Amino acid sequence: MARRNEPPQVKERGALVDLNVNPCKMCMPMGSSTAAFGVQGCVTILHGSQGCATYIRRHMATHYNEPVDIASSALTEQGTVYGGEGNLHKGIDNLIRLYDPAAICVSTTCLAETIGEDVAGMLGRWREKHPDSKVTFVPVASPGYGGSQFDGHFRFLRALMESVEMRPQDAPPRQLNLVCGPMSPADMRFLKRLVASFGIEAVVVPDLSENLDRARLPVYDRTPAGGTPLARIATMAGSALTIELATFVPDGCSPGAYLHDRFGVPCTRLNLPVGLRDIDALVDELTAFAGVRMPAALAEERGRYLDAMIDSHKYNAEGRAVVFGEPDFCYAAVRLCVENGVVPVVTAAGSRCPGFEEELRREVREAADRFLVDRWEVLEDADFGDIERLAVELRANVMIGSSDGRRIEDARGIPLVRCAFPIHDHVGGQRVRTLGYEGSLTLLDRITNALLQRKEEGFRAAIRDEFYDNTLLSQAHRHRESASHELLAEANAALAEDRATAPGAAQAARPAAPGAAQSSLPVILSGARSAESKDPALALARKTAQHPCFNGGCASENARIHLAVAPACNISCNYCVRKFDCANESRPGVASAVLSPNEAFERYRLAKERVPNLTTVGVAGPGDALADWERTRATLELVAQDDPDMTFCLSTNGLLLPRFADDIARLGVTHVTVTMNAVDPAVAGRIYRFARLDGVTYTGEAAGAVLLANQIAGIKRLVELGVAVKVNTVLVAGVNDGCVEDVGALCAKLGAAYHNVMQHIPVAGSVFGDLPQVSRTRLDEVRKRCEAHLPQMYHCRQCRADAVGKLSEDLVRAVEEAEGRRAAEPVLADPVVATLVVPRADGARTRHAPLRIAVASRSGSVVDAHFGQAASFMVYETDGTVVRYVETRETERYCTGQEACDPRAKADRLERSLAAVRDCAAVLALRIGQAPADRLRACGIAPVCTCDAVRPAVLAAAAELSAGMTTIEFKEAASL
Amino acid sequence: MTEQLLDAACELEAPDVPAHAMDKVLDQYEAKVYKNRKKHMVTVDHTLETPQEIAANVRTVPGMLTHRGCCFAGCKGVVVGPLKDALAIVHGPIGCSFYTWGTRRHKARAGEDGLNLVPYTFSTDMRETDIVFGGEKKLMAAIEEGIELFHPNAVMICSTCPVGLIGDDIHAVAARAEEKFGVKCIAFSCEGYKGVSQSAGHHIASNQFIRRVIGEDDTPPTGKYSVNVLGEYNIGGDGWETERLLRRCGIEVVSVMTGDGSVADMRRAHTAGLNLVQCHRSINYIAEMMNTQYGIDWIKVNFVGVNATCKSLRAIAQYFGDAALVDRVEAVIIDEMEIIDEDLQYYRGKLKGKTAALYVGGSRSHHYQQLLRDFGVSTVLAGYEFAHRDDYEGREVKDSIKIDADNKNIENITVAPVDGKYHVRFSPEKLEELKRDIDVFEYYGGMIKEMGNGTLMVDDLNHFETEEFVKMLKPDVFFSGIKDKFVLQKGGILSRQLHSYDYQGPYAGFRGAVNFGHDLVMGLYTPVWSKVVPPWRTEPALAGTIGGEE
Repeated sequence: MARRNEPPQVKERGALVDLNVNPCKMCMPMGSSTAAFGVQGCVTILHGSQGCATYIRRHMATHYNEPVDIASSALTEQGTVYGGEGNLHKGIDNLIRLYDPAAICVSTTCLAETIGEDVAGMLGRWREKHPDSKVTFVPVASPGYGGSQFDGHFRFLRALMESVEMRPQDAPPRQLNLVCGPMSPADMRFLKRLVASFGIEAVVVPDLSENLDRARLPVYDRTPAGGTPLARIATMAGSALTIELATFVPDGCSPGAYLHDRFGVPCTRLNLPVGLRDIDALVDELTAFAGVRMPAALAEERGRYLDAMIDSHKYNAEGRAVVFGEPDFCYAAVRLCVENGVVPVVTAAGSRCPGFEEELRREVREAADRFLVDRWEVLEDADFGDIERLAVELRANVMIGSSDGRRIEDARGIPLVRCAFPIHDHVGGQRVRTLGYEGSLTLLDRITNALLQRKEEGFRAAIRDEFYDNTLLSQAHRHRESASHELLAEANAALAEDRATAPGAAQAARPAAPGAAQSSLPVILSGARSAESKDPALALARKTAQHPCFNGGCASENARIHLAVAPACNISCNYCVRKFDCANESRPGVASAVLSPNEAFERYRLAKERVPNLTTVGVAGPGDALADWERTRATLELVAQDDPDMTFCLSTNGLLLPRFADDIARLGVTHVTVTMNAVDPAVAGRIYRFARLDGVTYTGEAAGAVLLANQIAGIKRLVELGVAVKVNTVLVAGVNDGCVEDVGALCAKLGAAYHNVMQHIPVAGSVFGDLPQVSRTRLDEVRKRCEAHLPQMYHCRQCRADAVGKLSEDLVRAVEEAEGRRAAEPVLADPVVATLVVPRADGARTRHAPLRIAVASRSGSVVDAHFGQAASFMVYETDGTVVRYVETRETERYCTGQEACDPRAKADRLERSLAAVRDCAAVLALRIGQAPADRLRACGIAPVCTCDAVRPAVLAAAAELSAGMTTIEFKEAASL
Repeated sequence: MTEQLLDAACELEAPDVPAHAMDKVLDQYEAKVYKNRKKHMVTVDHTLETPQEIAANVRTVPGMLTHRGCCFAGCKGVVVGPLKDALAIVHGPIGCSFYTWGTRRHKARAGEDGLNLVPYTFSTDMRETDIVFGGEKKLMAAIEEGIELFHPNAVMICSTCPVGLIGDDIHAVAARAEEKFGVKCIAFSCEGYKGVSQSAGHHIASNQFIRRVIGEDDTPPTGKYSVNVLGEYNIGGDGWETERLLRRCGIEVVSVMTGDGSVADMRRAHTAGLNLVQCHRSINYIAEMMNTQYGIDWIKVNFVGVNATCKSLRAIAQYFGDAALVDRVEAVIIDEMEIIDEDLQYYRGKLKGKTAALYVGGSRSHHYQQLLRDFGVSTVLAGYEFAHRDDYEGREVKDSIKIDADNKNIENITVAPVDGKYHVRFSPEKLEELKRDIDVFEYYGGMIKEMGNGTLMVDDLNHFETEEFVKMLKPDVFFSGIKDKFVLQKGGILSRQLHSYDYQGPYAGFRGAVNFGHDLVMGLYTPVWSKVVPPWRTEPALAGTIGGEE
């Protein structure tokens, strides 16, 4: 990590000096071999062991998306003892034979420099052996320990100037030398166009624009045709001016200084033309040199960049940037940030560079003072350990640099604008634009948009932190990782104390908390019963008695309906498969609409007519009842208007419980089930893949801690409000089976009424899919132990999110049938439905009815599963314009992975799949095999292969069907 | 059904390989290089009386743009790198550490101790002064800092070229550090110039694991059947899929070396019942030494390919010889096959009759031929980057391999049975029987036996030869790595990376095979190929000129 000036005796995290944690720099041969690609007909041989060439080729190829030929002298142990001259000579011979290069860059490595190879001497002796050879050698001393790739770049350029036999007399009049630091091929193309637009004849070195970003050629040219020819480089000594586009050229490596000292060519050094100030400087220089006015097109580009600066200044003013990478890049990016009001709170060069810190401090100070940012850092010799620590400390909200920042982006949620070498995880590194008005505009837009996106994702959190005052919750949020343990311990201790002073509440058969009656909140409960209206606890007791889940004794008489109105979920449980029954929250808008509140209300009405003793209405998913609270609230309000005596219940993971607890009670929800699987954030962290709160995604232990803190606060609040709380715990073998009792103990202290420990059902495809299921005996053991804290629910059936009826008999089909009949009644039929004519097999009769279409989908939003592989089908109904989700049908029981797997016991999968879609007019799947397709057709079901989104696909299929086609085949693109 | 399906896949038409393709490439070399490279190429001919021989694991010709890496790459990059609970410090200048950072897609997730250091790379970042005055002090300080900051289960010190030359004694530093900090510190003298390729690094890493890690923790496995998976580096999640399959069969995996592996697991590797060798090249050393030290037998498995996976699972069951396990394995095979059957058939329909060339690693070029055969794709050329002769010709040639100057510097350690930890599994008679019945029992037959007559086997294929062979053989797909990927795909031929899977995978096991089929079909049928027809598809071979011969 970075060397600091403070005394090294204090060794705290981040003050390391000897260990580089994730380097922010590469070695010199990387720089020299890259720059060598900018000379026409030049190939590089690295003098050292072959791994150097292999690694560098690999990294360059990934960034530039081009073949990268770099040879090696492949020194072995013997070579380290006897010297590598033989290998180098042989390597050069082979290179010449295979590549016929105009120039060979002989770049040394750690190995060659450590054993003290005399490369110049070796090349001289090679010449003696080959007096006729025309090849130009460019020997570069580039040991990896001597500097970074930035130094390597300039060492090559300097060596190039020294190696090429200069012919100043051949230079055309008023020729310009343009020396480029490290930049993308696209930026070099821009520079060439720029000078040409002034009518200037220029020699650009190096010129990577074609060699590392080629247009596709049918035949691979081993020695790329682009790059600056040696003959033109030879004329640089006779040019009228050198412009060196590099601020921090390492000492003794400046090509411009060499041309000046040796041949008297004047040299001007400019910053990389990024940002208004520095582009203007270059344009002024060119204007003066060419003696012409600024081209009109360029003036227009400038105006457009200014326009963009104005458009985005408000957003940029909130920017706190981390800029990292090579010294020149950092300087350019920082200056762009500063002139746009983004404060670079961390600027880090990976290598050491004289003058860098001083220049950068001057630059950053100006912006920091203007925006009252009192702490910012400029580092050299930094690694990503330093950068990450400072980025967090200084609350950075955008990073600008190479893709090496991606681990920080992942871990810390700070967006990364990838615009410098190397870019390994995105395509197009060779095309990145940062130079010139257009390039700066592109870069600025990317920075601004990264800020905007982050804001879009996180602004709710900021607002809530400011305005929502629940100490526990906001504390958990703020100290998310570091403080979560202490916080929870504190909470538990405080709660234990609370409970101790409120005797009797722990074993709450009557779960109303003492304070609830005094609550000033308008708690709406069944109003007709006067006694109950005086004491809400009585109403609660009655409702509890009628609730089939909370009172096992009534489960055989009383029925409930689960209204599946909550598709979204804000956490990801490792035992849950969200493929079918839980649309992914991260893609709002594509969620498979389960039931709208109005549809749910219709279903409830039907159920009430047909299901006797319907006492309870619940929202149990398929996602989380609170993740989209508005849907749940609207549904319950509709039902409450119809029958205020109905018992309402919800089940939730508790993440948003503190926020909605008051709302829940106000609505008249009397029973809430919270799924709490552990009390230790570390254990919880293993159960949840992530928890997403207010746009921030927590993973691992942090997810566990945030969820737990909210569960605790939420349950506490519900109990205060007089709501009966049941706690569900999924018993996962080897994960939480040792600590379920603790959950019971904690929840008892919090005032929960009931505890339901459930077996984990290993679902194929889930993270825990391969874990064994806990045996029934073990489950009962655990329940027995938990009984010491809370009454146990022994009669749980682990119902579906759309269950209807008693726990023992699911009447969902009956209700669905009723819905179907109702839809067929002409009075209710949608006018669109009436126009849809479906030809039946008998051809004689047409029928006005919605079409049922089965969809094989893994994601729930796109038809992306194979027919034969689909473990379930989603069934939709459509009238030709509206697509309504009906249900998901399983085709097989999931394999538990551990139980004996008897092939004979498995029924024919095809028949099972057929049975599941028997009543559908068509099946949509990504692919359907020939045999199953034939079987489907024989059953009068159209097999449709598509890869469209579910809704458009269903509509398209319906349209085809109604147009009279009985089967639809997916036509493969003709071009294939 | 399963059997029929598998048999059908095995019937492949012999690929059409132009005769003398090899000579036409070699003819372009000057005499010395010709002589050298000729030994590395074989036109497979099973009708010959004596087995064919190939030169391998010898020095690369300088300047030939080999795709080989170095000893350090084999040790730090391949074998040590995937260990998630070890802090691997690269002792040397910065480049080597940077270049092994996230380069290979060996995936890992934190174990119970919460450690996952795979996303990190650590270096002593040696400078000029360190080269002059030595870097031992800096290394010691770096170890201390690393331990303080990350609390690893072990520290692995990997040296780079200059370290061996300036004479830093990393083993002494490791010993001092271990004593001082109480954390296991292991040094690997894997300087890049050692050996002729990354293979040397595999050997060096294996030696240290045997010396310093395996055999330390005697906690026995809980299951009846337990194995170590050797040479599975979990690229793209292959190891996870392999482990899933083994677990389904009721086989406990004690340790994986080293994909998603840990020092903690490796310490008790000697308690396993059997060693499974996936990558023979990189890790057969450990299998052999563990056999001597602890009496653990090994079998060569291959979980790449549907047939290969079935065969490997059956061999494991056969080794343990328990009828219940045999039945269980069969049941799992039937179930897994049922799941993938339809997809397999679909992709086979799209791929049957295509041809492939492969140039990767020290095992993959062989393993993937087996997977390709499942899809009806035949191989016209295959070669290894850093394999030895036994990987081409079978272990029977092991004793006849000449030890040259480059190889004799790689330490070959001799081990003896470990008191109290050596257990005889089977009687000598039973072992003979197993050897007879299980063809992969402590044996690897090499790649050549499964290649068709007339196809080509080329060792250390270089950039130039790749281009020339492609022009003549016209394969539909070339499997190799990032370095030749762009030459090939811009030339209009599909390239698939078998080192990193082009950010896809896993390809192991049954479900992996379907992924592979999908990715291959997607690659072959992408619309862009209709716009770029490779010139050699329409032109006669070798019409053009080559560099240097205008």
